[in-house]
Amino acid sequence: MTQPKIAVDLILSKLAEDAEKARTRAEKASEVLLGPLETEIATTPCDVVYEEDRVKLKHYKPATKIQLNRPLLLVYALINRETMLDLQPGKSVVQNFLQEGIDLYMIDWGYPTRKDRYLTIDDHVNGYIDNAVDFILKKHNLDKINLMGICMGGTFCVIYSALHPEKVQNLVLTVTPTHFDTNKGLLHIWMRDMDVDQIVDTYGNIPGDIMNLAFLLLNPARLMIDKYVGFLENMDNKKFVENFVRMEKWIFDSPDVPGETFRQFVRDCYQKNLLIRNKMEVGGHRVDLKKITMPLLNYYGKYDHLVPPEACEPLISKVGSKDAENVCLDTGHIGIYVSSKCQKEFVPRIAQWLKQRTADKKKLKIKKTSRKKSVTIKTAT
Amino acid sequence: MTDKSQEKTGPETFFADWMKMTTELWDPMAWMWSAFHKTTGMTPDSIKYGKKPQMQESWDSAQKTWQAFSQVMSEPETMETLLKGAGMLPEIFLKTAQTGSKTFVNFQKQWMERTGKLQESAKTYNLEEDAFKAWTQLYEQEFRKFFKIPQLGLTRFYQEKMIRSMDKFNIYQAAVTEFSRLLLLPMEKSFQVLQEKLTELADKGDLPEDSKKYYQIWIKILEGHYMILFQSSEYTQALNKTLNAMSEFSAVKKEILQDFLNMLPVPTHKEMDELYKEIYLLKKRIKELEKKK
Repeated sequence: MTQPKIAVDLILSKLAEDAEKARTRAEKASEVLLGPLETEIATTPCDVVYEEDRVKLKHYKPATKIQLNRPLLLVYALINRETMLDLQPGKSVVQNFLQEGIDLYMIDWGYPTRKDRYLTIDDHVNGYIDNAVDFILKKHNLDKINLMGICMGGTFCVIYSALHPEKVQNLVLTVTPTHFDTNKGLLHIWMRDMDVDQIVDTYGNIPGDIMNLAFLLLNPARLMIDKYVGFLENMDNKKFVENFVRMEKWIFDSPDVPGETFRQFVRDCYQKNLLIRNKMEVGGHRVDLKKITMPLLNYYGKYDHLVPPEACEPLISKVGSKDAENVCLDTGHIGIYVSSKCQKEFVPRIAQWLKQRTADKKKLKIKKTSRKKSVTIKTAT
Repeated sequence: MTDKSQEKTGPETFFADWMKMTTELWDPMAWMWSAFHKTTGMTPDSIKYGKKPQMQESWDSAQKTWQAFSQVMSEPETMETLLKGAGMLPEIFLKTAQTGSKTFVNFQKQWMERTGKLQESAKTYNLEEDAFKAWTQLYEQEFRKFFKIPQLGLTRFYQEKMIRSMDKFNIYQAAVTEFSRLLLLPMEKSFQVLQEKLTELADKGDLPEDSKKYYQIWIKILEGHYMILFQSSEYTQALNKTLNAMSEFSAVKKEILQDFLNMLPVPTHKEMDELYKEIYLLKKRIKELEKKK
């Protein structure tokens, strides 16, 4: 007797097995979902040490002895919230920095209201960021700070470092777009023909929900279907559910984006690509990337669908710094911060890089001419 | 005698009687009214200058006009002319109706012609593929004209806004529908490709036993089709069109809301925005001055 081409009996028995597993899972899931869940985010202790309008400057309480006398200021994007860097205990960029003995500050942009619609990039960079930097410098009696930017916050840090190079010791960028004329990322394609004036004039601030919808549409198969299928398959696992809910809390916590800032970001960056061409003007000053002479570490994700490597890589060849390095991680836009494997690699490497450049200034000066490079690190996701 | 009695029962006599009766009813009322005002309606000015109160003056004047009118109307000659005119009423109604129906027929004819145009235009499209584009184009070229008919009168600005909002809503709906159709296309295509793939696997005898694998094959296909769609110019155009249509509808909706808010004791967005801008500029100036110090 020949074997049938379709193993109907096996398929049916597998289906029956799956149905039984699903039933058991659903029973356990109801216990998990009805029981107590720890889903708090951003729980690392900190003090708000400076406030201006809606913006707050957080200073984290050290977890160990401070090993670097120059504090690090983290600047997050205006899209979504900085809580992503402190999503859960034991899996937190903030905690990892503290463990490395870094004195850590972070800007919390808050929730813009209608009155913030007129705030420009100039107000954010030369206003809020500069005032936060001045506050930290004064508090620690220093002349320079270490600066690290995330995504759009990284773009702000690039602008800041070009306009105020005298206040930045080292610059770290993560998933930061600076070259916008590429077809690799969907945002770059979509933004090109957007009538940004009409949208800003109508809404004032750009509603966070609209931004979120746009991000979901970047990959609906994964973000609107597969993600929740994954949840259904693991909803009997308490830890999984807790982490999933934490991520949901972060991802849908979307403040509106101040209208004028959005207008300038889309028009000058996405549509005209002025930043990388040294033609962007902020607060009446031209942003000249050659003025970025401090050491620069530029991290990005190989599979980042929002800020593709092509949007990040060219920067190191445009800045004035001789000590500039590209580091490509084998992950996506968010994976850099939340994947356990990335975290093991990412934060200690930045901490080490900062420590080296703070302690061995003299040695670095000797090597200055040969330190522009790109490396790819496979961390897997 | 007979003629006289016939005259007395004719419609003209009836009208004269009615006028007389009405005047008799209102006369004492008017007298009572003026007597009341003589005691209560006197203002210091009217007492000082011996004037009647304004209300009483108006009433007296109306009463005199009525008396004069009823006297003229009660005359048999006037009534005769009036009745002759009334005899011609059916003819007048008929003429008016004919003119009205002609206008209606013409109007209907125009509509029919326009609908004919719609059908002609519709035939030129492959409706299955481009139904939404076709509808939008037909709407913009034909129906939209009706929303652009000039509005008249005191409330014309409000009417215009209402009509504009209806127009923008239709455009927005058309854009959203077209956009949604595009978003559903990968879904539709992914199922077709999945079926083909499964047939292929079945032919080879490689059909997976695990149901999850079927899902994984499908989601991968779906993701691929979305990526192709999202990079197409068709999608970018539809996205921008939808965003623009949404903004335009939202803007006109706000204008209408603002008109209503203007009637309430609350500030409107426009007023608040002006204030916010002033505060923003003032704050910026103060910060600059503080830094210069």
